[in-house]
This record gives sequence, C-alpha cells and structure tokens, in this order.
Amino acid sequence: MKLFDPHIHMTSRTTDDYEAMARAGIAAVVEPAFWVGQPRTHVGTFEDYFLSLLGWERFRASQFGIRHYCTMGLNPKEANDAKLADGVLEILPTYLEKQGVVAVGEIGYDDQTPTEEHYLVRQLELARAHELPVLIHTPHRDKKRGTIRTLEVLRAHGFPMELALVDHNNEETLPHVLDAGAWAGHSIYPKTKMDEHRMVTLVQRYGSERILVNSAADWGVSDPLKVPKTAKAMREAGIDDTIIAAICWGNPVAFFAQSGRLDLAEIASAASVDQRQLWEGNSVLRGQAPVVED
Amino acid sequence: MDPRAPALDELVAAATRGASERAASWLREVVDDEVRLVDDNAVRLAFARAARLFGDETVVLGPGSAADWSATDAARAAVLLGAVQRIDDERAVALVETLYRAGELGEQVSVLRALAVLPDPQRFVGVAVEACRTNTEPVFRAIAHDHPVPARHFPALAFHQMVLKAIFLGVPVARIVGLRGRIDDELVRMVEGYASERRAAGRSVPDDVDLVLRLAKESS
Repeated sequence: MKLFDPHIHMTSRTTDDYEAMARAGIAAVVEPAFWVGQPRTHVGTFEDYFLSLLGWERFRASQFGIRHYCTMGLNPKEANDAKLADGVLEILPTYLEKQGVVAVGEIGYDDQTPTEEHYLVRQLELARAHELPVLIHTPHRDKKRGTIRTLEVLRAHGFPMELALVDHNNEETLPHVLDAGAWAGHSIYPKTKMDEHRMVTLVQRYGSERILVNSAADWGVSDPLKVPKTAKAMREAGIDDTIIAAICWGNPVAFFAQSGRLDLAEIASAASVDQRQLWEGNSVLRGQAPVVED
Repeated sequence: MDPRAPALDELVAAATRGASERAASWLREVVDDEVRLVDDNAVRLAFARAARLFGDETVVLGPGSAADWSATDAARAAVLLGAVQRIDDERAVALVETLYRAGELGEQVSVLRALAVLPDPQRFVGVAVEACRTNTEPVFRAIAHDHPVPARHFPALAFHQMVLKAIFLGVPVARIVGLRGRIDDELVRMVEGYASERRAAGRSVPDDVDLVLRLAKESS
C-alpha cells in the first residue's frame, strides 16, 4: 500500500529516515513551513528557509523515491513579532505561486493572541487570492477553545471548509472539525498529541471521511514512520484496507490536489530514483554507489 | 522595581564573593566605566564575556531574592543595570531586546533574571512575554520561576498561557510568584480544559492542575 505523510519536517531529518520511510511504503510527503525551534530574527532567514523547502529538500526526497511537496506560510508562534511578520507576508505571495506549493500553512493560533489572529486572517485572504487550501496548526495549550475559535474565524471569513485541513486533533477537537466540514489531521507522536491506538479508536468511531494522519516529525522526539505504524495498527485492529488506504493516501491526495499543483497521474506512478543526479553540484551520496532505477 | 531588589553594589558583591581576583576586578572596572556602559556593543560583549570569568555557583542575593541565580547571572545583572541606569527608555528597551534575541541560552536566562532588578520592569514586558514562547525549559523557568515580573506586569492572556505552559511542561507552578492573586475564572477554565483533554486521551492529569484549582477555591 502506498502511503502519504501529509505533515513532516524533513529538513530536520536524516537520509536514514528517508531510506526507512521509502522502505515502509511512504511515496509522498508534504513539508509545511513552520518554526525552526527558536525564533528567526530576519525576513531573509525565512526566505532562505522557503527556498530550501523548494530546492534542496525536494531534491533530497527525490533521491529516495519520495515525492516532496510543501506548504508556505508564517507560523503562529513567530507571528507575534509583528515587524518580522509584516516582512514575511510581503514576500509570501511570490512563494505561494511556486511549483510544489500545495497549501498555505502552517497557520493558526499558538497563544491565541490578537496578533496571531491578525496574521491568520491575512493568510486566509492570501490563500483565497492564490487559490490554495490551508493547513492549520491548532495550539497545544487551551486546544479545544483554540480549535473552535479557528473554525469560527474560517466561518466568519467565508473560507470554504473543504479547503481547510485542521491539524493535530484529539478526542475533544475532532468532532468539532468534522461537524464544521473541514478536513481533520492527526499527528501521531511518541508521547504527546495522538498515538496509534487512540487513532484506531477514533477511526472505528468516525470512519475515514476527511480524516488524515501524519507524523509531524521534526527536530524533537518524533517518529517519521508513524504513518506506516498507524496503518499497521489499523490493520491489526481489523479495519478494512479501503479505509486505511483512504486515510493514508486517498485523503491527503484529494485534499492537496485542490491546489491544482498535485499531478494525479504523476503521483499515482512510482517516482524513479536516480542518485547520479546533482543539486547545484551537490549529491546526497558520500562515496556510495548511486542507486539508479528505470 | 521590587523594593527588595538588590542594588548594583549588592549584585557586584554577590557575583565577586567566590570569584577570582581577575574576575572581580574586571567586573568592578566595567560597572565604573561610564564610556563602556553607554556603548551597546561594549555592553553586549561584557554580557557575553561574564560567563568566562564567573561560574555557575549559586549566589545569595539577600532575603526574598530568587534562589538560583548564578555568579554569572549576578555579574550580568550588574552590567545591565549599570547600562540601563545611564540610557533613555527607548535605548534601554532596545538593549534588553537585543541581549535576549542575540543571546545564547545562558545569556537569555541571565537577561530574564535581570529584569527583576531593573528599574521600571514593565518596559521590558515584551521580552518577558516572548520568552514564555521558548521551547527551552531553562529559559522558560528563568521567567516563570521566582520572578516578580509576570504576576505584577503580564496581561491576563500572557499570564494564563505561562501557567498553562508550566503545567504542560511539568515545571512546578508552586514557584510562580504571585500565582494565587492572578488566578481568575478564565485560568480555571483553561486548566480544567487541559485536565479534560488529558482524561479523554486516557492520560494522567498532572498534580499541578489540582494545585491551581485548590488555590482558586481558597481565594474565591
């Protein structure tokens, strides 16, 4: 079964991770722009980060047979620095037009400040202007209210719910997101957020419609194989393969295809690996024999 | 400023008590140097350098003061206080912001602790609130623990988020100064919401949830 990890920060991961992911069946990933563990202090740092998602990281993924797409946006944590945030929003439109960008994100609330809300709304407007779906981060603290507030903001601005993927859900937020008509992501984490077995219970209760799972793996303690592990847990619990395939492949493809930037024929075919390729003169190899597939 | 906050002499005394003669004379020279203290780059350099001369040993700043300042924190607070006393408001805020933004983890901790001894600390509340967004626990604790500024100067939303983050990270809320006086219905709602989310996930509820709810009941 082909698997899709619709939220993973590959810039923080190693080539060992790419190899293990490819072996476990992951054929496509979406890497949302997010914060990098500590606040950036210059707009230029954002720009270089955006470029690395579009350039080197996409190339790195391709070297392991994984199709790499990304989302572009100003994350809520750094949105609280208004001077920086205005600068980022100024450069963002250009990046939203680039190939491989399949949504605006991660956007949303962190501390749920008025400043965060301002940049959330401005980026919803950008998503409409650039005809893109949005990937929405929900806060760690005061999560249920933050999720409900997010849905209210989407409604108040008439943002089409079918173009919104609200992420990091748990038992208390999922029913609200589904009732609103948005798509619901679940970040399967070793300790916090959601785990495989709780996810099985949620799928048994709510089915597969508009439901996605991801690893949200980054520079913290996280596991890039959580999508295959959740698929396995679902299978072991007797969940039908068609439901697993919808959650782990069909739904993310359908959601991000709304960007018009995800070629359905291309993604349906296996990406061929040619490790002889170079990116700006750089190879991911360090003396190994390049793998070349037809 | 906290009326119990140590003055510059006390900070220098605390820092130098266990320090080498070289370190002690360096610090006395810096805090007496009228030229250096109004030169932001020189202050930044001295702030960074302090850790090479002073250690991590805990120093006692006098009754009622934060318990776990290091000699380096005290030396840096002396330098920063000396500088802030000599420059206007706008420059003082910019200096504190720069020291925090461009600081490594130890410098960030020192800046946050120093806010407790600077005059008119409400000027620096932006840095203090921003520090609560850190992912780094020692930096978070430097503002959340044993610090007079949050309870006295944080807007409600920032104070609530700080308490909730402390519970979330397992950083004891008992060391949040003035917690009892800042508990309100909104904070109670947020803390109860967190407990409910943990129960729905089949997870344990941290003891500090009960502590906050008990304090709320006692003060209502």
